[in-house]
Amino acid sequence: MHLAFTPEQQAFRTEVRAWMEAHAPKFRDLKTLECKEGFDAHVAWERELASGNWGMVTWPEEYGGRGLDLIRWLIFEEECYRAGAPLRANQNGIFLLGPTVMEYGTPEQRARFLTPMAKGEIMWCQAWSEPGAGSDMAAIRTKAIRDGDHYLITGQKTWSSRAAFADWCFGLFRTDPESKRHKGLSFILLPLNTPGVSVRPIRQLHGDTGFAEIFFDDVRVPVENRIAAEGEGWNVAMATAGFERGLMLRSPARFQAAAKRLVELYRANADRAAPGLRETVLKCWMDAEAYALNTYMVAASIQAGGKIGAEASLNKIFWSELDRSLHRAAMSLLGSHAELRPQTGANEWLDGYIFSLSGPIYAGSNEIQRNIVAERMLGLPR
Amino acid sequence: MEFRFSEDQLRLRDHVRDYLAKAHPPERLRALDAAGGRDNAIWSGLVELGLPGLLVPESNGGLGLTLLEATLIGVELGRANVSEPLADTAFVAAPWCVRKGEKSYLEGLASGDVTLALTHDINPWVADLDTAKGVIAHEEILLTRPAPKQLNSVDPLRRLFASGELDGGDDPILLDLAALTSAAQLVGAAERMLEMAADYAKTREQFGQPIGAFQAIKHHLANVALAIEFARPPLWRAAYTLDRGQGLAPLHVSVAKVAAGDAALLAAETAIQVHGAMGYTYEVDLHYWMKRAWALIGAWGDRTFHLKRVDDAVIGGTLPLGPDATFISEAPHA
Repeated sequence: MHLAFTPEQQAFRTEVRAWMEAHAPKFRDLKTLECKEGFDAHVAWERELASGNWGMVTWPEEYGGRGLDLIRWLIFEEECYRAGAPLRANQNGIFLLGPTVMEYGTPEQRARFLTPMAKGEIMWCQAWSEPGAGSDMAAIRTKAIRDGDHYLITGQKTWSSRAAFADWCFGLFRTDPESKRHKGLSFILLPLNTPGVSVRPIRQLHGDTGFAEIFFDDVRVPVENRIAAEGEGWNVAMATAGFERGLMLRSPARFQAAAKRLVELYRANADRAAPGLRETVLKCWMDAEAYALNTYMVAASIQAGGKIGAEASLNKIFWSELDRSLHRAAMSLLGSHAELRPQTGANEWLDGYIFSLSGPIYAGSNEIQRNIVAERMLGLPR
Repeated sequence: MEFRFSEDQLRLRDHVRDYLAKAHPPERLRALDAAGGRDNAIWSGLVELGLPGLLVPESNGGLGLTLLEATLIGVELGRANVSEPLADTAFVAAPWCVRKGEKSYLEGLASGDVTLALTHDINPWVADLDTAKGVIAHEEILLTRPAPKQLNSVDPLRRLFASGELDGGDDPILLDLAALTSAAQLVGAAERMLEMAADYAKTREQFGQPIGAFQAIKHHLANVALAIEFARPPLWRAAYTLDRGQGLAPLHVSVAKVAAGDAALLAAETAIQVHGAMGYTYEVDLHYWMKRAWALIGAWGDRTFHLKRVDDAVIGGTLPLGPDATFISEAPHA
């Protein structure tokens, strides 16, 4: 065990910090990722990152990355959040689809999809949930029927984040119409401007149209857009879900930055804070620390050849409920100011609190995650 | 940066776990409870494993290992509910002697012939005072002491005595070593209570199925698993920084002890609930671990004490906060 950064790792941090300090400030205070104007501004940040070759530092150089290890990935993320850099408009692509294509894609698919992703050229959204398949994802009904070297897709997906602004989607489709549940599903990618695709934005809790329904009406998609074998989609999707719940999607840096802001907010409002709130603030800081430490352990384990199993579900429960606690504490500190939106800029704590309510729902609800923990880690009967 | 244990460290941990699973089953606890006192056979087994000398330098007859190994094994002591004074004497007194340059007891500690009891102002009791060769009090080792007056602990396997005229003092190194060891045992106790509750939920049937098939039970137990999973990394970090005497080690120990205590208390209350009325009996083994958890949560700085130390650094102090501050080792000067 060695809990200090090497001189090379520190030099890397210095390099990232210098770049962020030169480039991130003009991207501060962007509009939310959940509206067209904000999304476009975030895409501009993706391209800015790509211009410095920072699109996805852990990917091999041949796909637009830098071939760096997970420790450097964590350092990179820490410096992004330290600099107040924007969120990643292409998070569904780079954090979820990217690792999936890396693991299951053919060399042609890797070259075709990964490089434009790292360069911020193509923005991705997910197409998993359906009106009848939410937590019960194996109930997917949208069909992709083979027709020569194409699939004909018919059906409906929903809750697809940023589908109204994205270029492509990836998801699970039923390629064997006779199949049931987890069998007969395939993992397919397609451009949202394919004839027969229509996207209907849904207004979210905060008022913006962050997610959308996607309708498929005899949409022709070439067979080479399928990742892995026909009928193997469920296993591929589970791997993607593992990336989502595990290391990649929610960096500890995000919560450590929020915990720091919460401590500062507490100091500024200590005289009017409720008696129990001081402990809540300390608990949030300690939990953000614990999440960061745990992530460094997971990174070390993966680098030594380990895999994340059902622990990824514990991760997802932990960060999503920590995020809600952090923002709830801030709302309490703000008291009667909590509801107000300023004339310019945003009430970050209010927006953050609203967004934090989605964390325990998306990427598999926390109830489902708790079932997974109980069944796969503790061996309780299904 | 490499936050993981070596294969050797994990093998040692597994070896101790396997030994304790065979040699120290719950029946042993029941026998101890019935007979009172301590069992020389248990102590001899621990000596054969070399555990009393784990932290004693090799030149003094020990294994010369670090607080990382001690903390891994401390978790195992908590899992098995070992009540012999091993944690106090081997994982607190021995490294304390090494740090203070008190060399005269090291060989006796390593061979298991000597145990040292610990006094400190933070506790109103001294554990295992009657069988100890000496007692660490106010940065000294005393060989003579007043006749021990035994106290009643809720934990029937703890042997506590009044500190009486002993002046404990407030040695911070003793406190941090002992708080770390307590945190390790709390994590182990929590793990074991979770396993007991999960095992019970798999076999106890109601409404024609194991109660563990009900989501209410699953979610209770998943919450315990969550608390334990995120109590471990702070524990390992505290062991690492305290072993190296880094400036932030006391803060890290406090973070670890709060998380471990919270996990153990949640595990205890949840395990009782999952066991139903059986959990409220003396017959089910669970209560030994629950009572040990209660005791260790209060020992060597209770939750309030440790939370206050975190508070003094985080809200009231100058600790650097934020994403790039996770692995700083020294606090800056104000």
